Amino acid sequence: MKQSKDPFEAAFEESPPESPIETEPDPDADTEIPISNSLNSQPIHTNEEEEEDNHVKNTTSINTAITTTKNNNNNNKDDEEDEEEDNMDVELAKFPTAGDPHKMAKMQAILSQFTEEQMSRYESFRRAGFQKANMKRLLASITGSQKISIPITIAVSGIAKVFVGEVVEAARTIMKERKESGPIRPCHLREAHRRLKLEGKIFKRTTSRLFR
Amino acid sequence: MSNSAAGTSSKTRAASSQPSEPSSKRRRGVFHRELQHMMYGFGDDPNPLPESVALMDDIVVEYITELVHKAQDIGSQRGKLSVEDFLYLIRKDAPKLNRCTELLSMNEELKQARKLFEHDDENLRKTFEDDADG
Repeated sequence: MKQSKDPFEAAFEESPPESPIETEPDPDADTEIPISNSLNSQPIHTNEEEEEDNHVKNTTSINTAITTTKNNNNNNKDDEEDEEEDNMDVELAKFPTAGDPHKMAKMQAILSQFTEEQMSRYESFRRAGFQKANMKRLLASITGSQKISIPITIAVSGIAKVFVGEVVEAARTIMKERKESGPIRPCHLREAHRRLKLEGKIFKRTTSRLFR
Repeated sequence: MSNSAAGTSSKTRAASSQPSEPSSKRRRGVFHRELQHMMYGFGDDPNPLPESVALMDDIVVEYITELVHKAQDIGSQRGKLSVEDFLYLIRKDAPKLNRCTELLSMNEELKQARKLFEHDDENLRKTFEDDADG
């Protein structure tokens, strides 16, 4: 067993996943590598990058579930960062990406060209996740029932994370339109939320306006 | 609504009216720490503004609340909340749907791998005891 390997990782290595999901057809295989080259220290979110983000999320983020279990064990932020350094190489090495060697090779090519800032951001992207306990508590308080099954927690955590990604990306787009820089401000988030609502990505309060 | 969700939501509302101070009041919101890492991963500053994190927390909690209420509406005929309700709700949203199915299938695999792991453990123990006896 390698250092700091929990049984989940070991088991995961032995059984490469045969994901029944159809992964998105590669938009443009060639554009992915130039994108990483043109990424500066401040990742500017163009449409291509959004595609790449979605692509990354869909096809290569299999390890996030493993890393979130690890994340749950580490409550201290400092410990997290120290361990992340050690475990990062281990994770990159066994990059399953739905068992597709082609995609694996592409991901490796992209990742090898990341700058440090990009790498740390990517690391945060992979590792960040909602705590299962918090999510369970929240879901129980919403539904009113005590028992929330684990698959539901996992599903809602995944959905919420993708949602956060959408809002943050939209906020960054808005900042680019307004030609502002720096950290995201609440006004950007509100505008992003409003736009997502217009697009219909956010659920409206009422289901049917017909019989009110 | 989200008021009934948790007492923390009222605390975050207090935070928006008062400037944040390192006082004894805990108004971190539900997902403060994880959200900071997540927002950085998705493109925000390495240190996101606390107001942004608090607002994002509210947005996410509201989203989850709406999601769960809708799922309850759908699944109420069954009487219990199930994963398929959520999958039905996000069917139009390709990234979320793919991500969800990916996570769930991985969970299945991990479960089976865990079973195998325990099974092997038992076998090892049995063979060890046999050797010890024999």
